[in-house]
Amino acid sequence: MVISHALASGMGGVRTAGDLVARMQMTENMRLDEAKEYVAGKLGVDVKELTDPVIMDEVRKELNIGRVQPGAGNAKGMEAKFNVAKLLDIKINSVEKFKSKTS
Amino acid sequence: MVQTRLGDGSTIEMTEEEIRADIERGVEDATDRANIDSLSEDEIDRLADIYTRPNKFVSVETGNELVLTFDEGSVKLKRLAVSIGRIPDLQLYERAFCSDTAEMAHIDYSYKPIKPIIAEEQIEMEQALLTTVLPVFYGAMPNLSLYSQPDGSFPNPAELLPKGKIKEAQEAYEGMVEHAISDMVFVASKMYEAGADGINFDTTGSAGEPDFLATLRATEILKEKYPDISIEMGMSGEFVLGMHGEIEYDGVNLAGLYPHEQVKLAEKAGADIFGGVVNINSSETIPWNIGRTVTMMKACAEVANIPVHANVGMGVGGVPIVETPPVDSLSRASAALAEVGKLDGL
Amino acid sequence: MSNELFKKAADAICDANVDKAEELAQTALDEGIDPLEMIEKGFTAGINEVGRLFDRGELFLPQLMGCAEAMKQGTAVLQEVAAEQGGDEAEAIKIVLGTVQGDVHDIGKGIVASILEANGIQVFDLGTDVPIEDFIAKAKEVDADIIGTSALLTTTMGENEELLSTLEEENLRDEFKVMVGGGPVTKRFAEKIGADGYAENANEAVTIIREIVG
Repeated sequence: MVISHALASGMGGVRTAGDLVARMQMTENMRLDEAKEYVAGKLGVDVKELTDPVIMDEVRKELNIGRVQPGAGNAKGMEAKFNVAKLLDIKINSVEKFKSKTS
Repeated sequence: MVQTRLGDGSTIEMTEEEIRADIERGVEDATDRANIDSLSEDEIDRLADIYTRPNKFVSVETGNELVLTFDEGSVKLKRLAVSIGRIPDLQLYERAFCSDTAEMAHIDYSYKPIKPIIAEEQIEMEQALLTTVLPVFYGAMPNLSLYSQPDGSFPNPAELLPKGKIKEAQEAYEGMVEHAISDMVFVASKMYEAGADGINFDTTGSAGEPDFLATLRATEILKEKYPDISIEMGMSGEFVLGMHGEIEYDGVNLAGLYPHEQVKLAEKAGADIFGGVVNINSSETIPWNIGRTVTMMKACAEVANIPVHANVGMGVGGVPIVETPPVDSLSRASAALAEVGKLDGL
Repeated sequence: MSNELFKKAADAICDANVDKAEELAQTALDEGIDPLEMIEKGFTAGINEVGRLFDRGELFLPQLMGCAEAMKQGTAVLQEVAAEQGGDEAEAIKIVLGTVQGDVHDIGKGIVASILEANGIQVFDLGTDVPIEDFIAKAKEVDADIIGTSALLTTTMGENEELLSTLEEENLRDEFKVMVGGGPVTKRFAEKIGADGYAENANEAVTIIREIVG
């Protein structure tokens, strides 16, 4: 069922920019179009490119914000979330916790 | 003839005219029950197009994709008898299923039983957050029924009401609400402190409007305590069942509210995402069911100031009541709610 | 005149007004109206409306209980006279109801029980987590017409098939009609396992029960 939804209507998660748009909905209550525009602006892409896995994988690699197939040396997990928080100008709870425990 | 289904999953054949007529009947049922606006002719045409295509699978047009959140994610693979831990499960949601968010949950999906094992849940969440990029919710059900006998200390309203002991049942509900709020706030606080991106109150209202009240008040308390916490409030049915009959929130009687009314109270309480539900009638056709689902959810999305994610799965959101939902119905419901329902997510 | 009285009787049920229902029942008798006609066109019409409103979320369970009480008391006045007149008063349909073993969900089943009782069906509610043998024993004890089961989980739906098999094994299948319901249960499932009836909701259950008991 998850896969069917993902194919039928999903943004694509970390393959594209779905996780980033979701974060803006969760943290700023942005409606879908506003969240897409905000994320596209921060990534420097067109809104319609947000769900293009070819373009988005390049962008994600360049910005080091986590990829669906992260290569050696690419930011993963918490590392990527540090960069996501900075890029989207939002607080990510787990990133804040990580900072408070390590600094 | 076009192949479609009944709400119970049975395959049937209908003409294109019959499918459109059933969509219209579903739309009418929604407008009549929920007292909301109808869909436009263009929107009904769009639904008819989606439901009369011969394709096995239908998807949205590029650019109309929406955000996918999945409740109970980290236990769903376990239910398929896959031997997998919760963290790999979340990683699969992120990297294989392309979900936009994921949810850690305990197999006993209620806030009350999580209380005594909260430390273990926190550790698992902390570990999961180190290795995932997507937002991770922690979710469970308010499940007010666990606070009455035999599972809780309060007399069981479901036993009191048939005996005509209405006042006693109402008092029991009122006591149960307070205990549920306490547990929901406790667990949600601990999981937020462990780093969770959000808390999901799932299947809210399953024990009627006292269940909904507990969730609204727990949300209020959590938002005051942690202004940055993200809360998703998912419902259990298209209208809030009136088990108490006289419970109000913000001056509104909670019983009998439909999604477009529920979402305004969720907003008022401080919820960040609202998960609306429209039930399936298993004896009606899927076109009838999608007509009413899209009409109710669109009305909800139109009045909302927060993102609205419809529940679309077994028995809700235009999907037949079967454990293995057929991709023809599921993909159409997914596309219909995105393109005509104008939702923010599923 | 009768139509006006029928309307008032229906309203008394919808308003959960026990005193008014009893008073109108007596008025009907004083005016020589057939008690069974008063029940059907007045009180039953009222309780049908109550069921419709409940199904739409416009009336709630506590109010429903009050409506059911008004129905019970109002019809009792009429039924007593009907019995004295030796009319063809039908014996109430009896249903043994419960949530199947392994399943503790009681809200939906309780609603069904309430609506059935409000419609004059005699309900023997066994509660939740009910073993098959208890359903059968109670049905035999009270000479039930129907065994009605509720299952809210896909993992407990199978108990219905067990119930039907046990009834077959004990040569009791013709003694009791079996009706199934609950969240994941559908008409397709009911037909597949050979149950006699399935209803989408409590209101429909009343209609189906009357059909299958006939």
